Amino acid sequence: MSVFFHQYFDLKIINDNFSYVLQGFGQTILLSVVSATLALLWGLVLALLRQSPGRAMMPVRGLVIAYIDMLRGIPLLLIILLISGSLPFLTFLPEAVRAPSFFGKPDIFWYGVVSITLTYGAYYAEVYRAGLEAVPYGQMEAARSLGMSHSRAMRHVIVPQAIRKVIPPMLNDFIALMKDTSLVSVIAFVEVVKAGREVQATTFNSSALTLGAAMFVVVTIPLARMVDRLIARQQLA
Amino acid sequence: MARRPRPAEQITELVEGGPMLRLQQVHKSFGKLHVLRGIDLAVDRGGVVCVIGPSGSGKSTLLRCINLLEPPDDGKIFLEGKEITGSTKADLNFVRRRVGMVFQQFNLFPHKKAIENVSLAQERVLGRPKEEARAKSKALMERVGLSDKIDEYPERLSGGQQQRVAIARALAMDPHVMLFDEVTSALDPELVKEVLDVMRELAAEGMTMVVVTHEMGFARDIADRIAFMDDGLIVEEGYPEQVIDAPREERTRRFLGLLEH
Repeated sequence: MSVFFHQYFDLKIINDNFSYVLQGFGQTILLSVVSATLALLWGLVLALLRQSPGRAMMPVRGLVIAYIDMLRGIPLLLIILLISGSLPFLTFLPEAVRAPSFFGKPDIFWYGVVSITLTYGAYYAEVYRAGLEAVPYGQMEAARSLGMSHSRAMRHVIVPQAIRKVIPPMLNDFIALMKDTSLVSVIAFVEVVKAGREVQATTFNSSALTLGAAMFVVVTIPLARMVDRLIARQQLA
Repeated sequence: MARRPRPAEQITELVEGGPMLRLQQVHKSFGKLHVLRGIDLAVDRGGVVCVIGPSGSGKSTLLRCINLLEPPDDGKIFLEGKEITGSTKADLNFVRRRVGMVFQQFNLFPHKKAIENVSLAQERVLGRPKEEARAKSKALMERVGLSDKIDEYPERLSGGQQQRVAIARALAMDPHVMLFDEVTSALDPELVKEVLDVMRELAAEGMTMVVVTHEMGFARDIADRIAFMDDGLIVEEGYPEQVIDAPREERTRRFLGLLEH
């Protein structure tokens, strides 16, 4: 039994590598926050495009639906590999897009951001859609009969109500996003999982990974409880 | 309440200057369902027309065609002499700024306080400055008897109070015509009177109104004309005492419960 604790909870290894793993977790957080922010915006754009009325917008709506279906139907890992594998070689694109290094972050960081944004944007778009559809149709009717255009009605009446409804599922998706950032480790980006793996490889011991798991849990459990509280509060209203 | 004087001429003749609102052979279908099958209706300036009829007869659809929430498939609608069924964006603006609508389900904006509900469209659609809109909203809230509720959110108000806020919200846009879609049908009986009183006052002040309602006594009181609709057509139309007390058509009589079973 003591060998179990030695493999997973070796305090010396944890101590020696603490700052390295913590640094990796910092990258996890950075990647999560940047990607989630962009995904929230991209998801809103997708959701609003999907909602745009009129026959003229039918091809746009069709494209958006196809995009959402595909990005939700393909593993994020595949997207990461597709982008990081060949984007640098698409010579018709500008250098800054093929090998980005904004704000001093390496290109693999940005490949990760793009992959996660494209994928989670699709998930967020569906959450927005559920929120928009949960707003009773009478709200739009009332707004339109007061003279508001479709976009004005969306901006002042529908979207504010939808956003309140979608915060719990959004937070849940953020927790999933945060865990999925670990996939970027396959393209050599050092976030917490990669950091832990490097230690595991040299020590034949998983304690650094346990440490990484503990760091995740410190963030995700309070978030999950926050979601529960928000949902409970909404039920009361 | 004293009934307003009625013109002596026949119902279907146009008053000099033309009616405020005229529907000419209006048709509307939803998929295969032919809901409006050729509606002819005229409403004079300051006139009150009450539309009665069974559920599914197309009464709500009729109102929604008037303010172009549902554009008609066929036929014409004239508002203040101008045809609005040309379906251009300008028509929509022309209509929506002249026609106000109050709904059975109130449809107040739940994320805004009562006074903000009344101000929102004034500021965003009419471009009124905030202070002017707020002053007007306050005045209207007072007019519907809710000056002590201006900062309440809709969920804290009773159904009757919410409906009165909805009426104030529609009036804030200075409409020329007000449409009422069974506005008391979702209210507890004790709350109906306060809403009907506001509507009575509006009618007495000369507002042009088209009221879909199940409240026969109310309709008889405030209407200049009553139209009975069934199955997408106006079956019978006339003075209130005629349609309600002595209906000519059998369908009207059956609806009003006047036929022996």
